[in-house]
Amino acid sequence: MAGALTALAAGLTGAWSPCGFSMVDTIGTALGDVRSPVRRIACWTFALGCLCGGAATFLGLAELGRLLIPGDAGTREAVGATIALAAAVADWRGLKIAPQIRRQVPESWRWRMPLALACALYGVLLGLGFTTFVLAFATWALAGVSFASASPLTGLSIGLAFGLGRALPILWIAPRLGDGETEGARLMDGMAREPRLWLGLRRVDALGLGLCAVLMSGAAAAGAAVLPSASEPALPSATDPSAGGGALVWQEVGGTGMLLAGSGPARALPGSDPALGPSTVAWEGNGEITIASPVSLAVSATLPASGVTALAVSEGWVVYRQLEAKGRESLIAVSLLTAQPPRQIAGPLPAGDIGRPSLDGSAVVFTTDTTGESAIELVHLPSGHSRTLRAGNRGILYENPSLLDGEVAYERVTRCAQELRIASAREKTSGRLLLELPSTVTRDTGYEEAYEHAYNMGSVCPNRAPGPGSKLSLGPLALSGTTVYLTEVPRGEGPAAARIVTVAR
Amino acid sequence: MPPEPSESHFADGVLAKSSRRGFLEWAGAALIGLAGSREVARLMLPDEADAYTNFCGHTYTTGNCPHPTGLPRVDRNDYPLRASDGQPVDDLGRPINSQGDPINSHGEVLREPDGEPVPPAPRSKVCRAAGKDHHLKLEIEGSWYRCCGGRVRRLMDCCGFTSVRINGDAALTGYCYGGRNVFCVQYYETNVPC
Repeated sequence: MAGALTALAAGLTGAWSPCGFSMVDTIGTALGDVRSPVRRIACWTFALGCLCGGAATFLGLAELGRLLIPGDAGTREAVGATIALAAAVADWRGLKIAPQIRRQVPESWRWRMPLALACALYGVLLGLGFTTFVLAFATWALAGVSFASASPLTGLSIGLAFGLGRALPILWIAPRLGDGETEGARLMDGMAREPRLWLGLRRVDALGLGLCAVLMSGAAAAGAAVLPSASEPALPSATDPSAGGGALVWQEVGGTGMLLAGSGPARALPGSDPALGPSTVAWEGNGEITIASPVSLAVSATLPASGVTALAVSEGWVVYRQLEAKGRESLIAVSLLTAQPPRQIAGPLPAGDIGRPSLDGSAVVFTTDTTGESAIELVHLPSGHSRTLRAGNRGILYENPSLLDGEVAYERVTRCAQELRIASAREKTSGRLLLELPSTVTRDTGYEEAYEHAYNMGSVCPNRAPGPGSKLSLGPLALSGTTVYLTEVPRGEGPAAARIVTVAR
Repeated sequence: MPPEPSESHFADGVLAKSSRRGFLEWAGAALIGLAGSREVARLMLPDEADAYTNFCGHTYTTGNCPHPTGLPRVDRNDYPLRASDGQPVDDLGRPINSQGDPINSHGEVLREPDGEPVPPAPRSKVCRAAGKDHHLKLEIEGSWYRCCGGRVRRLMDCCGFTSVRINGDAALTGYCYGGRNVFCVQYYETNVPC
């Protein structure tokens, strides 16, 4: 959010560029009052171009960051914070922009093309941010932040906000710019004569960047505390991770819940089955669910609930899995903002059939695994509307989904492989493969000894040999902005051998 | 991949035009025997065991149906069993109990580190699942029984209206009826000694 607001201000700052002025004039005066519909269309195509251009640049940088600097989220956040802080100081002091791009949009387009098309292309160029004059260090810094964040969502929100910022002055002024002494002309004149407005906006940029730096520093400190090098055991004897607000909680095997927030050591929680929201932590114990601050552990609410076997929390909701009579379990949702009674959203089913819930805002995901079907379900809690994200009725098991910002990380197990995947929660695509291990089951050769075996193609797995499978099985996971916290369970070593490791998104 | 003409795998082509190996053996032996010598016939025809592919009792070259643990052993209802010991398994190849819950070698329900039972997985009929994977409607139609390892084994053809078998080449008639062909093969181990 801070990045997007800063990007909006940075885009507005761009109105003082040569191209920014040119756009207002091109759209506002070239055709006169008699063709105002054309002017309006040109305004909107310009705005659309700006949004596309902004999204392309900053989303592209975030994707590039994800490809080039996978893994260490703490380092990413630290780099982003440093860039933001340096640019904040420079913009606050109004330093001369460097490096500067001394280029402008092609003037000839306004003669050669229909105005709407030319303006769309002009919008794309201005939205791209780095094809013409740059009017604030914030623009450079936001590029660095997007790259360092390696988060497509962050990149996209920064890009759209930047594009909107570039478009707004044109949308505001151009339609008011007719012949003579119009309101638009006065606004243009004010902008042209008063560079302090521009410098003031740069200070707004600086404040936004400062806020970004603070937030990213906090996340860096929290991330650095729990992120060892890839595939090293991060947390021994641990399972059921939950991440949120730069902190991590997990269940110590045979013990209580644990909390790791900021740079301090891990703290034991006074309960089990812990869960994190963006600014809350929850745990279960003594027949109730406790919701508290992850910083001070000051209790903000308690809910009566017995037999809780898994828990998820967000700002407005608590969802828990409850063991009931005859060994059956149900999934229950409780609103923290309204006085509605607890609502059953899944079950009752035999214990083990309903997976751990994961909340993101008011959306919860969980698995239902039976001998007939395995599925990942998403329920929008306010409306009760549910949707199946993934499902299979043969040869497949979905486990441990974790939802964050419209993406879902989950495990997909077949007779041959265990896969950790991340995909959009809006589309039924297979998403990206983050980790693959051979299946854990023992497989035979597909032929009996001493018999011809040239035709057992239906019995082989391309990714593994016959015999014992992987010594590791994938367990519960939690998705954070840059990392997946994954439980690994070594086979045959007992539950205490379970550990949480990190996998780059 | 287009179906390979059945003539390209001669033995299977012969089978496709007639009945099964038992008949061929009988007919071949009869012909040669008529020519003069039963002993010669026995020498010329391959030994039963040598002619089997993949597993005892399966003649000719149609491949195994995809199976969670490899060898396509199934129970009487076509659900997968682990070939080595007949243990029921789910689609992931995990041994399971009668409720379908994954179990360990002692028959105890597997649990996650937090004590929650490990979730069950679907358990599919092997022949039908092979069909769904290949967008075919397949079912068990015909069988043949042979003595394998001291017990009678039922060799089951997974049949459908397909000209291509799991190998990728031309499908054979096998034990299938009504214009259907064999897509893949599996077997069921009876308790009948032989």
